[in-house]
Amino acid sequence: MTTTAATVPNPIGIPPEPDTWSIGPPRLLAAGYDAMRPYDRVAPRLLNRDQLIRDTTTVGLLGRGGAAFPVAAKLRAMPRRRAATVVVNGSESEPASYKDRILMRHSPHLVLDGALVVAHALRARRVLVAVNDEPAAAALHHAVGHRSDARTVRIAGTGGRFAGGEARAVLRALGGGPAIAPGRRVLPSVRGYRGTPTFLSNVETFAQIGLLATLGPRAFADTGIADEPGTTVLTVTGAVGRPGVVEVPHGTPLSVLLCEVGAAPGAAILLGGYHGSWWTGDPAVPLSRPILAAAGATLGAGVVCVLGPETCPLAELAHVTGYLADESAGQCGPCMFGLPTLAHDLQRAVGGHRSAASDLRRRLTLVPGRGACAHPDGTARFVESGMRAFVADIERHRTVGGCGRPMRGHLTVSPTWQEVAR
Amino acid sequence: MTRSWRERRIHVDWTRCDGHGLCAVLFPEVIGSDEWGFPVIDGRPLSPDEIVHARRAIASCPALALRLETRSVKQPARST
Repeated sequence: MTTTAATVPNPIGIPPEPDTWSIGPPRLLAAGYDAMRPYDRVAPRLLNRDQLIRDTTTVGLLGRGGAAFPVAAKLRAMPRRRAATVVVNGSESEPASYKDRILMRHSPHLVLDGALVVAHALRARRVLVAVNDEPAAAALHHAVGHRSDARTVRIAGTGGRFAGGEARAVLRALGGGPAIAPGRRVLPSVRGYRGTPTFLSNVETFAQIGLLATLGPRAFADTGIADEPGTTVLTVTGAVGRPGVVEVPHGTPLSVLLCEVGAAPGAAILLGGYHGSWWTGDPAVPLSRPILAAAGATLGAGVVCVLGPETCPLAELAHVTGYLADESAGQCGPCMFGLPTLAHDLQRAVGGHRSAASDLRRRLTLVPGRGACAHPDGTARFVESGMRAFVADIERHRTVGGCGRPMRGHLTVSPTWQEVAR
Repeated sequence: MTRSWRERRIHVDWTRCDGHGLCAVLFPEVIGSDEWGFPVIDGRPLSPDEIVHARRAIASCPALALRLETRSVKQPARST
């Protein structure tokens, strides 16, 4: 059932990278470690606007950056008569995520294919790839230099931390501003990069579009489920035997993935990263964005974190919330003051403080929807679902002052893979 | 036959708001404040009588963080 990607020595010479493999035949990861080879594939099949909208509708392609917005709807929202820009968001600012870097480093041509297919369909004059990782930028530069159709592509470095990866923060950084979301919510399709209508999506979304253009919708739907054909690329971290980046067909049961990565029985599962939620439902729930959305959960940017039964979940929750508070851009009051307060309340809950849980519940209503970006909303969702998932632990800390387990740091807050896979 | 009307709400630009708190003092019926002094606005659309109060609160903001946001709503008329 498992196919391991080719184990050619890593050509870029970078520190340890996540293990990369797939359940079932690899697709996005099938390009393997050929980033540095000459580009010998045929150019992607170019589609016009209506064809691309039709094909992305047929396969129900959803954005892979976190919001799972339908790609076809995003394409349809682009105005026809204005010079458009295509932006590949490769900033990957979530510490537990690594899949975008893997795709850019090892399948840069596929990512570029997708970006160029969209650019052709929208008659965009500019394609920008926002990257926050040197090996990924090097692989993309190399790939651009080896193809004749990529003259419009520019690779741009973006700084920025967690909240700097949000779409409008990235657009602002690309335009020369700070990597923080602007105060007014204007859709990028209306006014994006330097005021032009902009189609922006996550790296994996473009890789999927590249694949869809090459395969066509019928072959694209050879794997996955009717609700959501195709595959998705996940980053699995935490208390597992084999952390890494895994490509899975949509519909793969969560329990199969957990077995594949060697998660301990009784582990708690966080779906969607640190803006996601703890999954306490059916352990065999199919991994698919529409199915999880119907259950009130999200795959986010494809991050699955596993918390082993030997660590204190409340302390882990408090630790990550403290990190998220530090990552606030600090420009909106309710986020700047609210998130540290949530982290502090969680620390109080760890210490068994009587009023900690009720304080948390009250303050959780004061955070969502009150910022320029979704950082406060995502953090509140993470904390709120943690309080539901670990209600017994909160009670135990409150009554006996603790659970006797140390904080082992299963939830990483470091973006380097060595730390993640510790 | 569809009915259409405009809904108006107060919108906060959170990047500008510094929590001066004047809006909550001037228009307490709709704007409260949280423990850090930032406005808490109930999400319902403003009634015509409230618009004048809303405008006053918006004009008084030293950070120019408030705006009146207008949205058109269309709803098919209920069949009888």
